[in-house]
Amino acid sequence: MSTLIQPRKTRLPRPGTALRIAVLLVAAALTLGPVLWTLSTSLRTPSESFNLPPQFLPLNPDFSSYAQVFQQVDMILLVLNSALVTLLIAVGQMTTAALAGYAFARLSFKGKNALFSIVLATMMVPVQVTIVPVFMLIRGMGLSDTLLALILPAIPTAFGTFLMRQYFLGLPNDFAEAASLDGASPWRTFRSVYAPLAVPGMAIVGILAFNFHWNEFFRPLILTISQENYTLPLGLVTLQGNLGTGSISVVLAGVILSMIPALVVFIFGQRTLREGLTAGASK
Amino acid sequence: MSAPTLKTPSNPTTTAAPAARKRSTRQNKSMAERLIAPLFLAPTVIGMAIFTIVPILASVLLAFFRWDIISAPEFVGFSNFADIVSDPTVRVSFLNTIVFVIVAVTLQLGIAMVLAVAIQGRMPNWLRVFFRSAFFFPLILSAASVSIFMGYLFNEQFGVVNWMLSVVGVPAVPWLTTSGGAAAVVVLVYVWQNFGFSFLLFVGGLASIPKELHEASALDGATGWRQFVNVTLPLLSPTVLVASVMAIISALQVFDQPYVLTRGGPGDSTRTAVMVIFESAFQQLEFGRASAIGLVLMMLIMAITALQFRLSRRFVFYQ
Amino acid sequence: MTSTQSSGQGNSTLARAGDLSRRTLLGALGIGAVGATVGAWPRLTGADIPGRNSTALNVAILGTSADAAARQALVDEFTSLHPDIPVRIQAIQGADWRDFFSKILTMVAAGNPPDVVYVATEGAQLFAKKLAEPLDPYLTRDAADIQEYFQDVHPSLIEAFMYRGSLYQLPLDWNAANMYLNTSALQRAGLDRPADDWTNEDFTAVMRAMKSTTDGSFTPYYWTNRLFGGVVPWLYANDTSFLAEEKATGGDWFWDRFYSKDPTRSLRSGGYLWETPNAEDPRVIETFDYLRELVAEGLGVRPEGGGGNALVGLFASSRIGATPAGGYWVQGLHEAGMGADDFDVQFFPRWRTQRHQFGAAGYAIMRTAKDKDAAWEWVKFCASKPAMELAFPTPNTTPTRRSMVNQSLYASTGPEHWKVFYDTLDRFPTSGPIPAPPQQAAVETALMKNVSVAVSGSSAQVRSAMGSLQRDLELALRSNQ
Repeated sequence: MSTLIQPRKTRLPRPGTALRIAVLLVAAALTLGPVLWTLSTSLRTPSESFNLPPQFLPLNPDFSSYAQVFQQVDMILLVLNSALVTLLIAVGQMTTAALAGYAFARLSFKGKNALFSIVLATMMVPVQVTIVPVFMLIRGMGLSDTLLALILPAIPTAFGTFLMRQYFLGLPNDFAEAASLDGASPWRTFRSVYAPLAVPGMAIVGILAFNFHWNEFFRPLILTISQENYTLPLGLVTLQGNLGTGSISVVLAGVILSMIPALVVFIFGQRTLREGLTAGASK
Repeated sequence: MSAPTLKTPSNPTTTAAPAARKRSTRQNKSMAERLIAPLFLAPTVIGMAIFTIVPILASVLLAFFRWDIISAPEFVGFSNFADIVSDPTVRVSFLNTIVFVIVAVTLQLGIAMVLAVAIQGRMPNWLRVFFRSAFFFPLILSAASVSIFMGYLFNEQFGVVNWMLSVVGVPAVPWLTTSGGAAAVVVLVYVWQNFGFSFLLFVGGLASIPKELHEASALDGATGWRQFVNVTLPLLSPTVLVASVMAIISALQVFDQPYVLTRGGPGDSTRTAVMVIFESAFQQLEFGRASAIGLVLMMLIMAITALQFRLSRRFVFYQ
Repeated sequence: MTSTQSSGQGNSTLARAGDLSRRTLLGALGIGAVGATVGAWPRLTGADIPGRNSTALNVAILGTSADAAARQALVDEFTSLHPDIPVRIQAIQGADWRDFFSKILTMVAAGNPPDVVYVATEGAQLFAKKLAEPLDPYLTRDAADIQEYFQDVHPSLIEAFMYRGSLYQLPLDWNAANMYLNTSALQRAGLDRPADDWTNEDFTAVMRAMKSTTDGSFTPYYWTNRLFGGVVPWLYANDTSFLAEEKATGGDWFWDRFYSKDPTRSLRSGGYLWETPNAEDPRVIETFDYLRELVAEGLGVRPEGGGGNALVGLFASSRIGATPAGGYWVQGLHEAGMGADDFDVQFFPRWRTQRHQFGAAGYAIMRTAKDKDAAWEWVKFCASKPAMELAFPTPNTTPTRRSMVNQSLYASTGPEHWKVFYDTLDRFPTSGPIPAPPQQAAVETALMKNVSVAVSGSSAQVRSAMGSLQRDLELALRSNQ
C-alpha cells in the first residue's frame, strides 16, 4: 500500500504524512479514551469516582467496586447465561447456514432463486416488527422466560446463509466431480469434502453471531423476566440501580467485566470477525 | 455485483475462476440429490417460516386490532395506522428516526472515509495495526454498556466532556438535559461505536483498487484531491453503496442508545420509532398499535433499500 | 479458529491435514453444543430456577437476588406460622417502578403472572383497575386481627391505595419528598438549618448563599425528572398539580370501621382520581417558571431522567447542597460514608401550602392468584409488626408504622431531625400520593418528556411546553389502560 502513493508524494501539496497520522491519532484517542476512563474509574473508590480532572490511567487501583458487582448481581450466572445463549446460537447458525448455503450454492432444485430472494428479504425485517408475535409463539410453546426463547428464534440466519452460499460458490468444483465419480452420495460429498473446506466461512458466521448476541439488548429485555435468565447487557443496565443508590464505580466495574469475553474474541478472532463484517459488502 | 472477496482456502485449483460454474447444466439428478436439497434447507426455511414469516403475517393482522392481552382483542380498522399520523409522539419519533439516520450515517461514512484514506499512507506496520484495532474495538462492545459509560462522560455538571471543554474555555454544555444536546449525544455515541464498521469496508474497498489506475492518473498530472474524486471515489462507489445501505438499515433500528441514555427525552427529542414500538407494546400494552408502527418501519426500510439500489444503477461505477 | 484457517493455506498435503483438524474442530464444536444443550437443559428451560412451576405462593418484588435473599428471614418466619403455604420470592430487576410494572405486565402476557406483587403508589391504580383483587372482604373478615395495624399507620398512606371505594394494598413502607441538606454546604454559606415553615423564597436564598460560597463543580439543588421528587413536590406546595385531583366517593365502610376516631377522618375518601389534565393551570405554569429560574440562575441542575443513579455519590462528595428525597436515602448516604452530622433533613419548603408529596408501597393480590386466601395470609403477615421489623432492619426506606420510625432506627446513621419523616404526615395531613392514574407509564412519559423542555428555556417556552404536556396527557389518559 505504501508504494501506492509514492508517485504523488514528490509533486503534490497534499496533506503530509504527519498530518494524516495526527488525524488518526486523534481518532484513536477519542475511540480509546472513554474506555480507558471507564477502566480507571472502575478502579477508584465510589467517593472519588467524580474526581476532576479525570484520570485515564488507573494509578492506585481499588478493587472494591469489583467485589461489589459480585455482591449485587450474580455475575457468574449472567456470564454463564450469555455464554450458553451465544454458544448455542452460534453453533446453530453455523450448522443451519452451512446446510442451507450449500443447498443454494451447489444443489439444484426448483424455485431456488425465488426461495433465496425470500431468505435475503428477511434481512430487511427489523426484529422489533416480529417481537410481539414471537413473544406469543414462545408463550404457546411453553418457553416463556427461558433461555431457549432467546436461542431458537435466533438460529435461522439470512445473513449467515448468504455468507455460506458465497463461500461455497467460491470453492472449486473439481472436488464434487471427483467425489461423484467415486460414487459418493451428495451427503457424503458435503460432509467429507465441502463442510471441512468451509470451516473458515463457518467460523465467520459463528464469530459474527457471538459478537451480535453477546451484546444483544432488545430481545432479552422483552423475552426474559426472571433475573436468573438475564444476560450480561441486561444485568448491567439494572446494576445502575434503583432510587439513586447505585454507585458509578460499581456500574463501570460491571461494564469492564462484561468486556472481557468480547476482548478475548477481539484478540484471537479479530481477523475472522473483520472478514465476516466486510464479507457482506461483496454481494 | 463483484465476485466474493471472502477468503477461500488456498488450494492450487482455486486459481481457476471461482463460482462461475453453472450447476444447472447437470441433467441427471439422482434420487438422493433430489431429496437432499429440501433436507439441507429445512432447518433454515422452517425456522424462518416460524419465527419471521408467520410473525409478520400475525403482525399485519394484529395491526387492525386493539389488544392488551388481558381483555379480548377489539377490531379497530385502520385506526392504529391513523394514530401514526395523528399522534404527535409517534409522528415525531419517525421524524427523529429519519433525521437521526441522515446525520448519523453521514457522519459515520464521512469519518470512516477520512480515516480509511488516511491509513493508506506510509507508516510503520505496527502503527497501522494499532489504528485499525482501535477503530475496530468499539464494535465488539454492547451498545448498552457503551451508553452507560457515555452517559457519565456527558453529564452536564460532573462529566469529563464538559470538563475538557471548560479547559479550553467552553461553558458547560447541557448534553443530556436539552433536546439538542441529547440528540447530539445519541448521534455521537452511535457513531462512536459504528464508524469502525464503515471504516473496515472502505479499507477493504480501497485495497481492491488496482494501483496501476492511480499511477496512470498520477502520470496524467492528477492532484490528490482530483485523483480522489475522479479515480478513487468512482472505483469505491460499490463499497460506498453497500456501506450506506448497511449503515442506514441499522440506524433505522436504533434503540439501545436512546433507551439507556435518555429514555427518549427530553421531550420527544430522542424518541425513535423502535422506542415507540417498545413503549406501546410492553409498557402500555397497545400491541396492535405497536404492530402497526413496526410494519410502517419495515416498509420504510424496504423502500429505502429499493431506492438505494435503483439510484446505484445511475451513480455507481462498477469495474 | 484462526489457526485452522492458516493451516489450510499451504500445499495440498498440508491442506489435507488441515481438513482433518477442521473436521475435528467441527465435531468438537458440535459435540460441545450438544453437550451444552443436554448438560444445561434445566438452565435453558429455566427448570433449575428454585420454585419455578411449583404451586408455591409466588411473590414478586422489585430488586436484585440479594434483595430476595434479604427477605429469607421473613419467608422462614411466615413458613413457621403457615407450614401449609410455601412461599417463593421472585426478585425482578428494573431501573425504576415503570420498568418493574412493565415486567409484571410481560409476565401476565406470557401467561405466568405472580400471585402477589409488591406495588408502589406509581402502580397502585394500574393494578387496582386491571390486575389486583380488592382486600375488602378479607379486611371485613379479619378486622379484629388487622385493627392494630391501622392504629399504627397514618390514614393518608392508606388512602393512597383506595381505588373507587375499595382498598387494594396495605402499605408497608413509604417516603415523603422532604429536603435533604448538606451540612458542610450550609456551614460554608454561614447558614443554620432552615425553619420548619421556610418558604420557597427562603429556599432560593439558601441556594444562592450556597452557590456564592462554593466554587467549581458544585450545584446547590439537584433534582431528578420523574413522578416522585421531581416537579410534583413543588406543584403540591403551590397547591396545584399537572393532573386535576379529585376524590372518589365510597370507602366509608372502611374509614368508619378502622379510622372513626382519627382527627382527619373527614378528609378521607374512596381514593384519588386523576382523570383530567391540568398542565395549563396558571399555578402549574408559575411553578415550572420558578424551577426554570433556578436552573437559569445556576442554582439547580437541569433534571436528568430516571432515578439519578449518581445522586448518592454526588451528595456524599459534597457536590450538591440539597435534594428532595425521603427516608429511603439515609442508609445509602451512610454506606457512602456520610456521618450522622454531615447531612440533615427538613420539610419541603412552603409555597401556597406546605402539602407534601409521598410515595408508598405494599403487597397486592393478583386476580389470577392460585390461592387468594393464602395470598391474603402473606399480606396480613407482612403487615404485622414483627414481620415489618424483619423486613426493614435499616433505614433504607421509612416503615409505615409510626411506632417503628424511632430513635433506634436512626441511631447510627442520622440524620439528627429524623422525626421530620413521619411528622410530615401529621403536620400536613392533606399530603398526597404520587399522581399515578392507571395510565401511569404513559402519564410519567408525558411528564418527563416535557419537564426538561420547560425548565431549560425561556419563560415563553414554559407555556408552550405546558401546552404540549396538556396534549400529551390527554392522549395518555385516553389510552386503554
